[in-house]
Amino acid sequence: MKKGLILSAALLCAAVAAMTTAGVSGATVSEGTRANAGTLTGAGATFPFPLISKWIPAYDQASGTQVNYSPIGSGGGIAAITARTVDFGASDAPLSPDQFTACKGCVQIPWALSATSVIYNVPGAPQGLKLTPAIIAQMYLGFVQKWNSPGIKKLNPGVSLPDLKITPVYRSDSSGTSYNFTDFLTKTSPTWKSKVGTGTSVSWPTGIGARGSSGVTGVVSRTTGAMTYVDVAYALANKLKFARVRNAAGKFTLPGLRSINAAASSVGKVTGNGEISIVNPAKSQPLAYPISTFTYVLAPTSSPKAVELRKFIYWAITSGQQFGPKLLFAPLPKGVLAFNYRQIKKIQG
Amino acid sequence: MTTTTHDQAPPGLESRGLPWRVGDVIFYGLTAAASLATLGLVVWLSYKVIAQAWGAIQTFGLGFVTSIAWDPVKQNFGALDFIYGTAVTAFIALLIATPLSIAIALFLTELAPRWIRGPVGTLIELLAAIPSVVLGLWGILVFGPWVAAHLEPFLERWLGFIPIFNGDPSQAGLLPAALVLTLMIVPITSSICRELFSRVPSELSEGALALGATRWETIRGVAIPYAGPGIVAAVLLGLGRAFGEAIAVTQVIGAGSGINASLFAPADTLASRIASQYQGAVSGLQIDSILYLAAILLVISLITNVAAQTVVRRFERSRGAIS
Repeated sequence: MKKGLILSAALLCAAVAAMTTAGVSGATVSEGTRANAGTLTGAGATFPFPLISKWIPAYDQASGTQVNYSPIGSGGGIAAITARTVDFGASDAPLSPDQFTACKGCVQIPWALSATSVIYNVPGAPQGLKLTPAIIAQMYLGFVQKWNSPGIKKLNPGVSLPDLKITPVYRSDSSGTSYNFTDFLTKTSPTWKSKVGTGTSVSWPTGIGARGSSGVTGVVSRTTGAMTYVDVAYALANKLKFARVRNAAGKFTLPGLRSINAAASSVGKVTGNGEISIVNPAKSQPLAYPISTFTYVLAPTSSPKAVELRKFIYWAITSGQQFGPKLLFAPLPKGVLAFNYRQIKKIQG
Repeated sequence: MTTTTHDQAPPGLESRGLPWRVGDVIFYGLTAAASLATLGLVVWLSYKVIAQAWGAIQTFGLGFVTSIAWDPVKQNFGALDFIYGTAVTAFIALLIATPLSIAIALFLTELAPRWIRGPVGTLIELLAAIPSVVLGLWGILVFGPWVAAHLEPFLERWLGFIPIFNGDPSQAGLLPAALVLTLMIVPITSSICRELFSRVPSELSEGALALGATRWETIRGVAIPYAGPGIVAAVLLGLGRAFGEAIAVTQVIGAGSGINASLFAPADTLASRIASQYQGAVSGLQIDSILYLAAILLVISLITNVAAQTVVRRFERSRGAIS
C-alpha cells in the first residue's frame, strides 16, 4: 500500500521532470559543452576534416586546449553555429545572405585551401582523363551520355573509351563541395548557369544522389560509368582516378599543391564577408587547377569562449597550415591572412 | 455483492462503495495526463508544423502539391514528385509485403511443424529489430548493386514492354527503395497476422475440418475472415511505416527529382527529402517548403489512419452481422 503510494509519487515526479527537461534540454546541452573553458567544440564540413584531425592533437600539445570536431557536413555546421550548440562551425560554401542574417553576428574566416576533384569509374580509362568544363557541364546536364562520345574522345586521343553510359552522381545533402562544383560550372557554362546555377543543393537535371563524400564515392565505385566530385584529399586517400580539368588558359591540370597555389595566387585583397571564389581563375595562371576552393570557419562575434576561439583560429591559419601540404591543402595566401587577422579581432566575449 | 462487483469492475474511480484511495487518484491522474498529453502533443505538433510552413503555404498555395520543382537556387519548390515517390514506394512495398506476411503467418500458425514455429518466428521478428540505418547501408552496399545487376535487367528482359520495367538499371531508385521498405514492413505485419491467426478459436477451425473442409478451405473460410479486420489494420500499420521511413529510403532511393515512368529511375519521397535537406537549407523559403512537405506527410498519414479505422470498423460490423 505504502509502497504503491511511493511508487506512484515517484512516477509523477519522473513525468514532471521529463516534461520540464524536454523543454529546456536544448539550453542545458549547450551550456554543458561550454562549461569547461579548456575545450572548444566545432562541427561542420567534412572537406577540411583530414586537416582538422591533424590540428587537434597538435593544438592540444601547443596550448592545452582540447578541440572537438564533428564532421557532419557544411549544412549541419551552419545550422549548429546558428543555434550556438557549438563554439565554431565550418563550411566549404560561404554563408548565403539569409544564413548570415539567421546566424546573428557571425564571422566567416577562410582557414584552409584545397581542391575538388572529378572522379570516375570507367574500365580501361587511365588516371588523369582530360575533360573540359563544357564537357563536364554537358555530362551533368545529360547532353553527353556516353563515355565514348566524340567530345570526350577528341580530348583524349589514343585512350580507348568504352561504349558505356555516363551516370553523374551528386550529393543529396547540403554540401559545400556541391557549391564549389556548381560554382565552377556556372562560371564556365552559360547553359548550366541558366538551367541550374550555384548552390549547396541544386536541382540536378540527371543522375543519382547520395549522402556525403563517402556516399557519392561508394556509388561511383560500384557503378561502372559513374562519375562524381569529391575533395582531392578524399580521392587520394581512397586511390580513385581523377580527371585533368582544362583551365581558362587552356591547360589541362590535375589537382595538386602547385596547381591549387596557382589558382589562389589570383586572390588579392579580401573584403566584405570573406567570401572568396577562385574557381576558373584568369588566363594569367596557366598552372591553376580550376576547381580550387577555400573552406571557412564560422565563429560568433560574441562568444563566452572568445579568447580560446581567437587563439585557436589564429593558430590554425598560421602554425596549423604546416600540416596542410601532405593532405593537399595549400598554404593561405597573404591577402587572405590579412583579412583573417582583422576578422579574428571581431570575436569578442 | 459489493465485493463481487468490486472484483469484476476495473480498478479506478468506478469502484463505488469503496473509499477513494490516494494511490487510485494519483494513478487516475497519471493515466489521464498521459493520454491527454499525447493528444495535446499531436495537436501542438500539427499546429507547429503548419505554422512553420506558413511562409511556403502563402508563397506557393495549394499549387505546391501539384507542381514538380525543387530548385533551391531559383527558390521554386513543389511536392508532386515526392508525393508520387512516397505513394509508389509504399504501394509496391505493401503489394509484396501483404501476401508475404499472410503466407508467413499462416505457415507458422497452421502448417509448420511445431518445432519450426518458434525459431522461424523469432528470426522474422529479429528483422524488425535491425535499425533502419543498418538496413539502408545493406541496401547501398549489397542489395542496390544486386538489384541493378540482376533483378532490373531480368525484369526489363521479360516485362520490358511495360513502361515501369523499362529503363537503365540503377542501384538507387524507386524499386530498391520499395524492396527495402518491404523488408521493413514484413516483420511487423507478419507478426501481427501470426498473432491474429493464433487467436482463431480452435472450435471454429476444428468444426470446419469436422464438416469435411480441407485445410485450405478452413483457412479461407474460417481463419482469414476471422482475422480480416486485424489484417487490414496490420497492413495499414505497415503503410504508416512505409510513408514515414526516412533514413533507409534516403540511402537507396537516389534523391532524384521529377516523375519517371520507370521504377528503375532515382526518385525521392517526402520523408527522405525532409531528412536530406533540412540541415543546410540556404533560405527561409526552403525551410518553410521542407516543413510544407512535412505537413503534407502529416495529412496523408492522418487520412490513411482514419481510412484504416473506418475499414476496420466496417469489417467488424459485417462480421458481427454474420455471427
